[in-house]
Amino acid sequence: MVESVQPILTVPAEVGTPKPNPILVVDCLERSFDGLKAVDIDHLEIERGVVTSLIGPNGAGKTTLFNLLSGFEQADKGRWQFDGQPATHTSPDKLARRGMIRTFQLTKSLSKLTVLDNVLLGAPDQQGERLWAAPFQSKWQQQEQANRQRAEELLERFNLTHMCHELAGTLSGGQRKLLEVARALMANPVLIMLDEPMAGVNPALGQSLMRHITQLAFEGVSVVFIEHAMEVVTGLSDWIVVLAQGQVIAEGPPWKVIHDEAVVDAYLGGQQENRQR
Amino acid sequence: MEFDIIITNAARAAVGPEALILALAAIGLNMHFGYTGLLNFGQVGFMLLGAYGTSVAVATFGWSLWLGVLLGLILATAFAITLGLPTLRLHALLFAIVTIAAAEIVRILVGSTDAIGLTGGPLSISFDAGAFYDLNPYPDGPNDRYGAGTFEFTGQQLWVMTVGWTLVALVSVGVFLLVRSPWGRVLKSIREDQDAARSLGKNVFTYKLQALVIGGLIAGLGGVLDAIKTSGADPNGFRPQVTFFAYAALLLGGLATYIGPVLGAILFWFLRELIESFLRQLVAQTWLPDAIANFFDGAEGIISVGMVGLALILLMLFRPQGIVGSRNEMQLNG
Amino acid sequence: MVGLTFSAALAWPASATAQNTADSDAPSIGNQQSSDEQATLLEGTLRVGFEQYVAGVTISVSDSVGNLIEKTITNSHGQWLVQLPGAGTYTVTLDEQTLPTELKLREGYETTTTVTTQQGTSRAVVFAVGETPQGAAFGERVAQTMFNGLKFGLIIAISALGLSLIYGTTGLVNFAHGELVTFGAIIAWYFNTSWGGLNLLAAAIVATIVCAMLGAGLEKGVFRPLRQKRLGIFQLVVVTIGLSLLGRQIMQLFFGAEPRAYNDFQIQQRWGIGPWEVTPRELMSVAVITVILIAVAFSLQRTRFGKAIRAVSDNSSLAEASGINVNRIVVLVWVVGTALAGLGGIFQGLDTDIDPFLGFQLLLLIFAGVELGGLGTAYGAIAGSLIIGMSTELSTLWLSPELKFVVPLVTLIGVLLLRPQGLFGVKARVG
Repeated sequence: MVESVQPILTVPAEVGTPKPNPILVVDCLERSFDGLKAVDIDHLEIERGVVTSLIGPNGAGKTTLFNLLSGFEQADKGRWQFDGQPATHTSPDKLARRGMIRTFQLTKSLSKLTVLDNVLLGAPDQQGERLWAAPFQSKWQQQEQANRQRAEELLERFNLTHMCHELAGTLSGGQRKLLEVARALMANPVLIMLDEPMAGVNPALGQSLMRHITQLAFEGVSVVFIEHAMEVVTGLSDWIVVLAQGQVIAEGPPWKVIHDEAVVDAYLGGQQENRQR
Repeated sequence: MEFDIIITNAARAAVGPEALILALAAIGLNMHFGYTGLLNFGQVGFMLLGAYGTSVAVATFGWSLWLGVLLGLILATAFAITLGLPTLRLHALLFAIVTIAAAEIVRILVGSTDAIGLTGGPLSISFDAGAFYDLNPYPDGPNDRYGAGTFEFTGQQLWVMTVGWTLVALVSVGVFLLVRSPWGRVLKSIREDQDAARSLGKNVFTYKLQALVIGGLIAGLGGVLDAIKTSGADPNGFRPQVTFFAYAALLLGGLATYIGPVLGAILFWFLRELIESFLRQLVAQTWLPDAIANFFDGAEGIISVGMVGLALILLMLFRPQGIVGSRNEMQLNG
Repeated sequence: MVGLTFSAALAWPASATAQNTADSDAPSIGNQQSSDEQATLLEGTLRVGFEQYVAGVTISVSDSVGNLIEKTITNSHGQWLVQLPGAGTYTVTLDEQTLPTELKLREGYETTTTVTTQQGTSRAVVFAVGETPQGAAFGERVAQTMFNGLKFGLIIAISALGLSLIYGTTGLVNFAHGELVTFGAIIAWYFNTSWGGLNLLAAAIVATIVCAMLGAGLEKGVFRPLRQKRLGIFQLVVVTIGLSLLGRQIMQLFFGAEPRAYNDFQIQQRWGIGPWEVTPRELMSVAVITVILIAVAFSLQRTRFGKAIRAVSDNSSLAEASGINVNRIVVLVWVVGTALAGLGGIFQGLDTDIDPFLGFQLLLLIFAGVELGGLGTAYGAIAGSLIIGMSTELSTLWLSPELKFVVPLVTLIGVLLLRPQGLFGVKARVG
């Protein structure tokens, strides 16, 4: 980020502004629950190869937006493109195979699989996952070895090596978060969407996780993550999108967004309320 | 009380054809529920189609026995696909009730008088399984017996058992090869959390359907063997409780273990026959008051099935992982 | 005259699962016999469809030269059996005069058939019996069938309401609910006959109280400890399957597999009301169940208990926090739910006969009713059950009665595919 001026820095901080090289383009996206609009976005572009954070108070529609974009929930209306191809009405697994990998706010670690198996599951294009090849170890042994090596590297990065052969169900909440990120990385994402990756992770590990996230963007992966705490976001992201009541109320680089009046009103007001609770 | 007879009777049931048919049904269920988390309560439907496919092909269509076996297996596969395509997206409990209903529908249709011309309807259907017994290598004269005392089989029975247990072994090895592969890993991930599997690019529906077909095919094979063993089929042999017995065997042995369903089926029949034999001996005892003897006389089967129910309850309370399962794994619920 | 046509299906002892005794499903090879000493037999079972047996019909068997070997009468399971002197060709004749008036042989079957038997074997002879397609106007048949459907639907509904209440409050899918239904019928029978010979009304009331007590006992003795053990959903389902098997076998042990009837109300004059011909017994069943359903629905809606039940269903920890004694409410739900199940059994026993499989046969239809209406909603369960009952009976207008249970099951599957949340359920929000 420091070395070169990124094209994203030339983009004006306006809601719905076009980006030079977007990975995700959303148009007229709507989703209501019981008549209440949970998500209502006119136009939103997410830039490729940078870290974008999605912030907003509770119930702003961040997770719903993730669910819609990744195909886990059906939109009432709207279109969106991923990596230059239409992604509307596409099943979650298809989108994942195209490189859009997400994690979940409530971790979905596979309790009765080992930590290593959890990560291995993330590997794409596995020969051994085909029914016809599965019984013949020779057909997938080599690929499995390579995947295993990569998985072990990832686990080491996230300080999980010692838990490698334990069942994932024995991990702590924070460790599960890390495991889920490791698993997502195993899938070689083009775009990785992390839903509150830092929640419940101890501060030291959280720091290391953040470093990984910026490193990813440096390697060319696009990162979107949902976060609650403004402090976390500002130092980490290249671009911030602020949601409130389902709508994008502001977007721009961190130093601009934190001074935006609408954000201060809607978001920081909400933050304070949260603290008071 | 002749305990040696009770024990040999139980041992005889434990290795007999019923146990190996139950083992196949339980192995199939293990594929469905143990590895993939599909709560299939209609396993008996697959067995019925295997048995009736074979019987109808030979008795009604006049095909050869081997074509009949093939038809039975095809029907079981077709049942898995037609059942699975629309219902695999349902919530686990709804899937359970739909499968139990589907198996009942098949049983009622097969057993209706409208189907007499095809399946024999409410009467049983019978056919000539000679092609199978022609291959019997064991001399099967009227005086040929294998074993000792009451643990004794005819040549025909021994042949059915040889073929059957060989198939159980082959199927178990096949399941082992499949489940230890990355394919098996995907199945287990679906059992744990299908949204997680989906988010990593796995086509959950396809894997579930594959598992449903494979497990159904294994149960269908059990049905085929049942038809060959009895040279026919009877709609009353395929009531929902057969599925529950298969669950009992699977849970007794241990969910999601390779050897569990086989051990479970063996133990299931061992215990059932143990109870029945014991009761038969008991009512013959002279010291037993007549009133009690009369009460138990003829009720051996009723009591042993009730004991299956009791065993299921106790198993869930005290050893939900079964004989060979791991306790730690069972405790990681959700 | 008209009414008889349609009641035939229910009037005959419906001991569907008489053969469902434990030991018949898979004969153990441990007790096989040598076949050389077996008798030569002719046998058969006379039934309307798969599940209703026809008793008291004369069957005679003659040898090839016309000498009568034996004249026999079908038993309460519709079975008959004649022992033959040996192999040969025999003529079997069914005396059509002895068939109940509303029944006759189905097309393609003669009253006389000739069979050849082999020494030492048992040969089955089939006479397929069906209901007489009488001259009644189709409209009248529809009306009468709808009444039967309503009656059957109400019986399902009262049982299903019990299941739905328990599911809604505790999340338990109770596979032993069918046995609770059976239990009600059997206990009422005992009070009605051997234990004091109360009249049926008194016996029904006492039986309902016994059921309610059983419900409280099950909750306190079995399900509360299980909840405290934090068993998973699947383990709980398996426990209820175990209870179902155990309960059914125990009842079979004491009650026997033979179907029995209550002492009262066995034979009644039919009343003609408009297009309907109904017995006072049937009218009473319909009226009483309707009143009970309305009363339960009303108290769920209006009384303090009802509101507490709904609060616990919605969110039990929130209810707990707001001062509701959740444990007491759950006991109450079990008391009411089991009493309702028992009542369902008592009414079903009035309509058919009582055997240990009565409830298990209804279980799938009860599930179907509950799911059709949307899991856990009381009104949905009632409405779904009425649809199930109605479709079951209406199907007999076109299909043979032995297929009538197929129709509601197919309906269930169809509805679930189109609306997995049931007809009246609300789609749950994902994520």
